[in-house]
Amino acid sequence: MTAVAEAKIKKRVLPSPVTGQEMVLVGVIAVLWAALAVSTPAFLTAGSIQPLLVATAPVALIGVGMTIVIITGGIDVSVGGAIMVCSVLTAKALVEAEVGLAVAVLLSVAAGALLGLVNGVLIAYGRVHAIIITFGTANLFMFLGLRIFGSGTVNGIPGTLAFFGRGPDGRTLGVPHAFLITVLITAAAWWWLRHTAGGRHFFAIGGDAQAARLAGVRVQRRVLLAYVLTGLLVGLASCFVIAQGTSTLDQSVGAGKELAVIAAVVIGGTSIMGGRGSVLGTLLGALLVQSVASGVTQLGWRSQLSDLFVGIFIIVAVGADLLRARARRNR
Amino acid sequence: MSRAVRILLTQRIALLAVLIVAVVVTFFVNDAGGYLTAPYDFDYMSAALITAVPLAMLGLAEMLVILSGRGGIDLSVGAIVSLAGMVFGFAYGEWGWPLWLAILATAGFGALLGAVNGFLVSYIGFPALIATLATFYAYKSVAIVINDQQPISTEPIQKLFSISRSVELPLFGQYVPDVPLGIFTFLLPTVVAVWVLLARTAYGRRLYAIGTNDVAARWAGLPVKDTRFKAYVYAGLISGLVAVVTVGQFASARPDAGVSGNGMALPAITIAVLGGVAITGGIGRVAGVVLATLLIVWLNAGILLAFVGNEGSQYQLLALGAVLVFAALLNGLTNRKYGGSAS
Repeated sequence: MTAVAEAKIKKRVLPSPVTGQEMVLVGVIAVLWAALAVSTPAFLTAGSIQPLLVATAPVALIGVGMTIVIITGGIDVSVGGAIMVCSVLTAKALVEAEVGLAVAVLLSVAAGALLGLVNGVLIAYGRVHAIIITFGTANLFMFLGLRIFGSGTVNGIPGTLAFFGRGPDGRTLGVPHAFLITVLITAAAWWWLRHTAGGRHFFAIGGDAQAARLAGVRVQRRVLLAYVLTGLLVGLASCFVIAQGTSTLDQSVGAGKELAVIAAVVIGGTSIMGGRGSVLGTLLGALLVQSVASGVTQLGWRSQLSDLFVGIFIIVAVGADLLRARARRNR
Repeated sequence: MSRAVRILLTQRIALLAVLIVAVVVTFFVNDAGGYLTAPYDFDYMSAALITAVPLAMLGLAEMLVILSGRGGIDLSVGAIVSLAGMVFGFAYGEWGWPLWLAILATAGFGALLGAVNGFLVSYIGFPALIATLATFYAYKSVAIVINDQQPISTEPIQKLFSISRSVELPLFGQYVPDVPLGIFTFLLPTVVAVWVLLARTAYGRRLYAIGTNDVAARWAGLPVKDTRFKAYVYAGLISGLVAVVTVGQFASARPDAGVSGNGMALPAITIAVLGGVAITGGIGRVAGVVLATLLIVWLNAGILLAFVGNEGSQYQLLALGAVLVFAALLNGLTNRKYGGSAS
């Protein structure tokens, strides 16, 4: 076999490393940043970009897990409740037990993984549609979170987690740690999903679970793993959330985050029907949403206006994907 | 005996009826034992029905879109309630339109917002979850920006609070508890209208058909796109009516009425699923949604009395989540054990 033919086969087995959607997103973010830089000179400064990257981190990080879940054909609408449980648990541990950084992160990640395990077991072995189960567990997690909160807020959170925060302790050479960790995890997940058999199994399950099972994929275990991974990342993201906040954690933490994460995943080009998607796109989607939010504030518009743009971006991103799919079919 | 178990497991309406009786009896016993902070009696149960009005109406709205199949769902109903509520606030509270015209305009506006969803889902082919997620964000944002984040609570709006009062029924009213007026002015007409639409019109049969198998329905010559589109329009229309109810209850048109906290979409979808509507489409009945609403409303009302302070509202979350997971697992179980559809 000639080298050309070999290359052709390889190309057919794996999709191109960067999808069209991702190129477009990079372009849109570049144009947006350029426009903002022109209209508000303060935008392209470290003091403005660094908080933007820090704020992107939690949604993008959870988005990595959500992307894998959605690739398998599932969805997880309980991440908002899970963020609440992990962050209040960790905040209480920081205040009352005065735990260190490593213990706090371990605690949060373990709690998140446990919540993910609950979702995963119910979905993989209960054979019920993921959206219904996670709607249910969303309520259960919120109950749990509110019980841990007690009646009020958690006050006087020490700066133990400043390593992930907005301040100078949260940066190395000007790069925020929270964003750096998110990029590294995204890159690792990208490699795993694209170049290992275990990663490809998720796509197989989303494409056709029955066929995947007959081909020897342990479907239930892979599905379980996807939700546990999401839980792990929720735990880590909750540490970012605490670090970004003030010394007070209130009961609205995590509210509505599940939709923000799903929006980032969808804008990133992952198909909600399963079987197709990329964590790189999710990172870009989260960055785009946060850039819009930041831009709207800096232009002095009402901050809620950014939601309108999020809605429009979802329509445009998915609409473009639909048109491309239609063009592929007709070819 | 096994027949009774089978009916309970496969007939969602029978199960819900038994659960409602169990809940009510439990709280009556607790009440008699003096474990509740206030009496749980028929008057209290009747007054609690006020919360059933928006819940059941939005549950029916979700049922219509979920029935239409192909992953039908509407995440935007809460945002429609917010935005249509602001329109009602302007029309009735600021521009002084007559009440009937303002209600009509609000319902029409809700239908228009639903039509945007329906157009995206049915004619363009967006997955419903995505289209309504996008419009959720868009409507929510516009509702807040449109009046600069301010609620509208002018005098006519404040007087509207009277529509959420309780009234004595005519003829035999003195023998039964007073009933919230919203039940008669909004909930019952909606329930009857949706029932007639689904059970007595050709449109209803078409909706079940496309939800069960839309390819087969298309080959049978049914207008699949048009039917699915209208399901979203009706859901928007009902959400518009809920907006009027909500403005009345708060005595104010609040820009975040339908999206604050958990929003209204999540509980509405929960009610629909609990009522036996299959998330895959084509299966679901009005009676199931109404009974599921009564179960949740009376359960929540009892929980509120069983705990002191805000613990009650926390345990309501536990109850809602547990009931939903239980119902979903039961659906999966009965599907495997008895086959066929568990409606």
